[in-house]
Amino acid sequence: MSPVVLAQHVTKWYGPRRAVNDVSFAVEPGEIVGLLGPNGSGKSTLFRILCGYLAPSAGSMQVAGHDVVAESMEVRRAISYVPEDSPLYDHMRVVEFLRFMANIKGLRGATENRAVAAAAERLDLGGVMTMPTGKLSRGFRQRVSIAQALLGEPKLLVLDEPTSGLDPHQVIAVRDLIRSLAGRHTVLLASHVLPEIEKIATRVMILLDGRLLTGDALEESAGGVRIRLRATGAEAAVRDICGGVGGVRSIAAEHDGGSAPVRYVIEAERRPSLAADIVTALVAGGIAITEVSEVPHDLERVFLDLTRRPAQAAA
Amino acid sequence: MNNFGVLLLKEERALFSSPIAYVVMTVFLLIMGYSFTLTLFLSHQPSLVHVFFQIFVLFMLTVPLITMRLLAEERKLRTLEVLLTAPVSEIEIVLAKFVASMSLIALMLLLSGAYAAVLVLFGDPDLGPIYSGYLGLLLFGSALVGVGLLASALTANQIIAAIVSLSAFLLLWIIDNFGWLLPSPFDTLVVNLSLSVHFRPFAIGSVYLSDVGFFLSVALLTLLLSVRALARR
Repeated sequence: MSPVVLAQHVTKWYGPRRAVNDVSFAVEPGEIVGLLGPNGSGKSTLFRILCGYLAPSAGSMQVAGHDVVAESMEVRRAISYVPEDSPLYDHMRVVEFLRFMANIKGLRGATENRAVAAAAERLDLGGVMTMPTGKLSRGFRQRVSIAQALLGEPKLLVLDEPTSGLDPHQVIAVRDLIRSLAGRHTVLLASHVLPEIEKIATRVMILLDGRLLTGDALEESAGGVRIRLRATGAEAAVRDICGGVGGVRSIAAEHDGGSAPVRYVIEAERRPSLAADIVTALVAGGIAITEVSEVPHDLERVFLDLTRRPAQAAA
Repeated sequence: MNNFGVLLLKEERALFSSPIAYVVMTVFLLIMGYSFTLTLFLSHQPSLVHVFFQIFVLFMLTVPLITMRLLAEERKLRTLEVLLTAPVSEIEIVLAKFVASMSLIALMLLLSGAYAAVLVLFGDPDLGPIYSGYLGLLLFGSALVGVGLLASALTANQIIAAIVSLSAFLLLWIIDNFGWLLPSPFDTLVVNLSLSVHFRPFAIGSVYLSDVGFFLSVALLTLLLSVRALARR
């Protein structure tokens, strides 16, 4: 199956500043892909190029097989975009705005009514449909913006910071909504909030200073495993024993102070029964273990590793 | 309804839900009503020539107020991003804004038609100059809206858009005064850029294709440049 999005060596210059630098990636149908990066890393620029709002300075981008520059109208028909901060026409009522967006997406009559009603129900907008969008809270504005994006069943949904500024309940609701779109829509979302993107996306790409550092951070983080254990006994003995277990790459000790058992974080290659082998070796060496757990894949660590590398290289 | 119709409806709603349209219309009608009454009582002539010249000046002052928000506001509020990533063309967007603004111009002219009706009811005016005057004002209005729209397409700041278009109108109004001072053939070239030179014949009852062509050319050229300004991203 051909990818929904295919970016090849996309670069964007704003005068002397390179906002996007030689970015290439593909998004397959049904994926929920997160684009993670700090503010100013080029996420919004990349999305604007993807939606045909900006033209790339170099490289090419295709959506559903159509070039974003040469076949902009076909791309716009295949895509729905929710820009950051939910820009809306403040003089329009919510229902008017949704109808307007449905109309310019080619929905008319009964189809338009059904689409507007379905989007409003999905985003729980029933109580604000007759309110001017200019009077809505930030959370409702975001929901209206997402509701308009759902109109017309687009192939690709592009969401720029979809949970920004929402309260925790709204964040959970939007997160659930995006997850529920998996399979039916392909979703590309940008965020600078790491835990947020980790909870929503099935694949995470990391962008820094316009460069795509990884096309799948979750896979990188899952490449190894981290085991946390708390053990009594001499630290040197624990290090010796653990170091002798196959696949262990490094051991870091975390001292809580006092006579409490030392906590260790062991990084190792992922393989079956690794934790059991470590525990067995330690017990056989006379070390008592009070706690052992596998640290779930750590996007934060991958993010920090990747984003430090360029800085270190520069230094 | 096609996309142009949908966009036009949206523009009409935006225009007539904003106080600017009503303030502009009220000021226009108050000033023109006063001017018409005064001129009629002083001259006792069933003519709208003076009124047309005053509308000419008033349009140059009010059109920037109508056009300044058209694209600058969309750019500033970032709704342009929503619009330009939806399946609508830049031409449809620009044309919808142009036609909506022209509808306000046409409404103002229609309301000023009360002065012509008074003359017809109580006098025996020569209708030719009245028809040509209104045709001239409509064409003149379309050129002004085109220039205003272009200014609004080039900035996200409404005030800057208004000042740029107002400056352009004032310059093109009086440019013939400077043009006459230039050597040939530059004098003809500059004088023919003047809005007043091309409007004057309409107001006094003469319709020349060159004047019609001038206003239509300005309107079409500025619309084309506005579309280019939107497409250049």
